[in-house]
Amino acid sequence: MVKQFSIFLENKPGRLSNLIDLFERNQIRVLAMGIAEAGNYGIVRCILDAPEKAAEALRNANTAMNLVEVLIIDMEDLHNAVKVLGEKGINVDYAYTMDLGRIVIKVDDESKAKNALSEAGIKTY
Amino acid sequence: MSIQAYSMGKKEIKEVQSRKLKEVVARVYENSPFYRRRLKEAGIDITNFRPEDIRKIPFTTKTDLRDNYPLGLISVDKSKIVRMHASSGTTGNPTVVAYTKRDIDAWAELNKRCLEVCGVTSDDVVQVAYGYGLFTGGLGLHYGAERLGSKVIPASTGNTKRQLKLMKDLGTTVLACTPSYALFLSESAKEEGIDPKKDLKLRVGVLGAEPWSESTRKVLEEEFVQSAHDIYGMSELNGPGVAIECRKKNGLHVWEDHYFVEIIDPNTGEVLEPGEKGEMAVTTLEKEGMPLLRYRTRDITILDDEVCECGMAHARIKKILGRTDDMLKIRGICVFPSQIEEVISGFEGLTPFYQLVVDRDGPLDRLLVKVEVSENFKSDRLTEIVDLQKRLEEELRDVLSISAAVELTEPRTLPRSEGKAQRIIDLRKI
Repeated sequence: MVKQFSIFLENKPGRLSNLIDLFERNQIRVLAMGIAEAGNYGIVRCILDAPEKAAEALRNANTAMNLVEVLIIDMEDLHNAVKVLGEKGINVDYAYTMDLGRIVIKVDDESKAKNALSEAGIKTY
Repeated sequence: MSIQAYSMGKKEIKEVQSRKLKEVVARVYENSPFYRRRLKEAGIDITNFRPEDIRKIPFTTKTDLRDNYPLGLISVDKSKIVRMHASSGTTGNPTVVAYTKRDIDAWAELNKRCLEVCGVTSDDVVQVAYGYGLFTGGLGLHYGAERLGSKVIPASTGNTKRQLKLMKDLGTTVLACTPSYALFLSESAKEEGIDPKKDLKLRVGVLGAEPWSESTRKVLEEEFVQSAHDIYGMSELNGPGVAIECRKKNGLHVWEDHYFVEIIDPNTGEVLEPGEKGEMAVTTLEKEGMPLLRYRTRDITILDDEVCECGMAHARIKKILGRTDDMLKIRGICVFPSQIEEVISGFEGLTPFYQLVVDRDGPLDRLLVKVEVSENFKSDRLTEIVDLQKRLEEELRDVLSISAAVELTEPRTLPRSEGKAQRIIDLRKI
């Protein structure tokens, strides 16, 4: 299971740049990123290559942030994966793509989803 | 403890007040041309003055102090004045207040009482982080702590890092400052790697000079200081030390042997009953240099005249709900920042840091409430955040009777202050 960072940011010019600057300064690489926005704020969801270092850097910068468990699968398994999840009654809350031809999926029951996918022979990261 | 003041019963308090009211009215009539004229105009009979005649005396206002700038309201010969303080005059003249030696002594005594009621003893280390100078907060608490025999650190405001270092190295047990500065110190402690619960010994907070809410108390008591007490005062009434929260924290005891309190309707001036919300007017019973009759404090509160569970009979005022001058009139409706603070405090993941922005959209006033989220704000599901924002807006509308837009801001983005918090931005052009 992979930890995703969900970061609360105000929806204003420069905020995202500050965040990415912070990652750069700490030599943290962004592997995947999605942004959801509502009015004056938004949530930046991302997968980072050095989660512990990133958590510390974000805490030191007084960021409003949560860690959330997500699944990562290969894009080529997408069709099968959503079929399996649907059959097992597992909901996909949101998803976004990642480089290396992968996709990040947030479901409502992570462990059940992981088991279902592995039974169906679908690789998760 | 100086037993007399604490053990006075209701009956004794009323007797003392009746006697002192008569005395102070006679004294200002004798010594202050301003009040002699006022009392004559109002037809007050000085020789046969009864306590209930107080209601016939016109109110004294801040405007009276300004109009008679600087020392037109003193009731002693100028040679007896040993101290003058002045409030910041943002518009026009500042208000100047004058003390005799006896006034300074009484002021020290009242602050000592306040500290004792909070459980402070001569063993405590008291860090006074109110401003020293023209502002009365610093010196008032300083005198009180010194008279009590505590170890006083006259830190004054500002230099937050040094404040924390003093606190840690000198073992501060009592912190006296504004509640907003206490919050800022608490936050800064964490940034400095200081764990208040382990590294500091803060037992008591004596916090005043601005209205604050139960939510601020909760945050401070959980994270910074074991017991946070509200203290009330204003320079016109000596300074801090007029009223204090006891351990029951169910209102602030007014030292009724020094101050006679009335709650009035701010619009009509009519005296209200205990339990009714209105503006507090205070007559000083002991002040010598500059006694004030029925001084309109502009602070909104409620009087509770029941004997407190703590045993003291001195009447209590509720935590100040707002000031008549802080009161925002939005679309004709009175709004107090404290009402908004109470609503915010009911929501998880939000901090007590907020800002109110009022502007005008065509003929209509608009209220925007900016609220800072905390670092452990649930920040994954957008729908949950949108929902929280909606619930906050709904509750504000219920409490205020006008609609307000809510804007959530990132942690540590709203301005912090070392003195009184600036929470209102009024962009309306008249």
